[in-house]
Amino acid sequence: MFTDNIQGKMKYIGGKNEYAAAARTADHCPNFKLDEEDEMVADQVRSCYNCRYRRWTEDSFICCNPNSV
Amino acid sequence: MEILIAIDDTDNLDSKGTGELAEEIAVTIRKRGWGNTQGVTRHQLFIHKDIPYTSHNSSMCFRAEIKPEFFEEIKQFSQEYLRKESADGSDPGLCIVTIHELKNHEKLMEFGSNAKKQIITKKEAYDLAKELGIHLSEHGGTGQGIIGALAGAGLRLRGSDGRFKGGINLPKDKTSVQVKELKNYDNLNEVMSIDGQIINDEEYVLINGKIKTVLLNHRAVLFVQPAETEDEGARWENCSKQYLRRF
Repeated sequence: MFTDNIQGKMKYIGGKNEYAAAARTADHCPNFKLDEEDEMVADQVRSCYNCRYRRWTEDSFICCNPNSV
Repeated sequence: MEILIAIDDTDNLDSKGTGELAEEIAVTIRKRGWGNTQGVTRHQLFIHKDIPYTSHNSSMCFRAEIKPEFFEEIKQFSQEYLRKESADGSDPGLCIVTIHELKNHEKLMEFGSNAKKQIITKKEAYDLAKELGIHLSEHGGTGQGIIGALAGAGLRLRGSDGRFKGGINLPKDKTSVQVKELKNYDNLNEVMSIDGQIINDEEYVLINGKIKTVLLNHRAVLFVQPAETEDEGARWENCSKQYLRRF
């Protein structure tokens, strides 16, 4: 669900509203870290959308975990 | 006297969030007898590749009714607190608005609205703060956080933006609550359906998870939608995080 963006960071290709896919992706991610409650936007707790390492962009987010591949 | 305190850009990926720092400043104001505070609100600002931010570009603000003689102490404490507690690599900014001295409310509110849709420079923020008589200070890094701090104050002043930090946890065995009981909680003034209907005090709401409210027309509003299945006499249920995201 990720692709390299122009800065070489991992950009999520599902956009901002693919809740089920973002939950599945986080389920398989060993680096998932839950963000503080006020920044959570998905009802599925374990979701890339709720992860401390996601950095929102205009149309999606990039994964900022240094161990992401 | 009434003031607004807003902060922004105090965190990094591993630190406490900006909301937590705002809450701690508010708690100190109450504990030291400097005044009373209202809930902290989170204001989403513009997401753009040319704007530096840690992960979400949101600003935090609260309103306080303080004893005027403590204004300087509150300002000094807040500045020192940001210097001490802000994370490495962050660019913290602090804004304090004394509402009765504010020279032009509309200009500050407009600044807040603009910060949700366009890039704004530090110079523009400092120029406006000077013109309106607002305290604006930076406490490390590039100090870029002053832009979000000023914007957060403007959005809070407008009274229709952002979600309240934290929320209300009901006892585990309680799932259905009457509106009039809900309105006894802090940061919950009104229950409203997603099409704008005020829900009357006698109705019941099914509560899933934590109760989260948003700032709308200067009120803390709990949004509800028709319940999927009517249970315990409740025709309504609280909206999901996904719905509240728009605030």
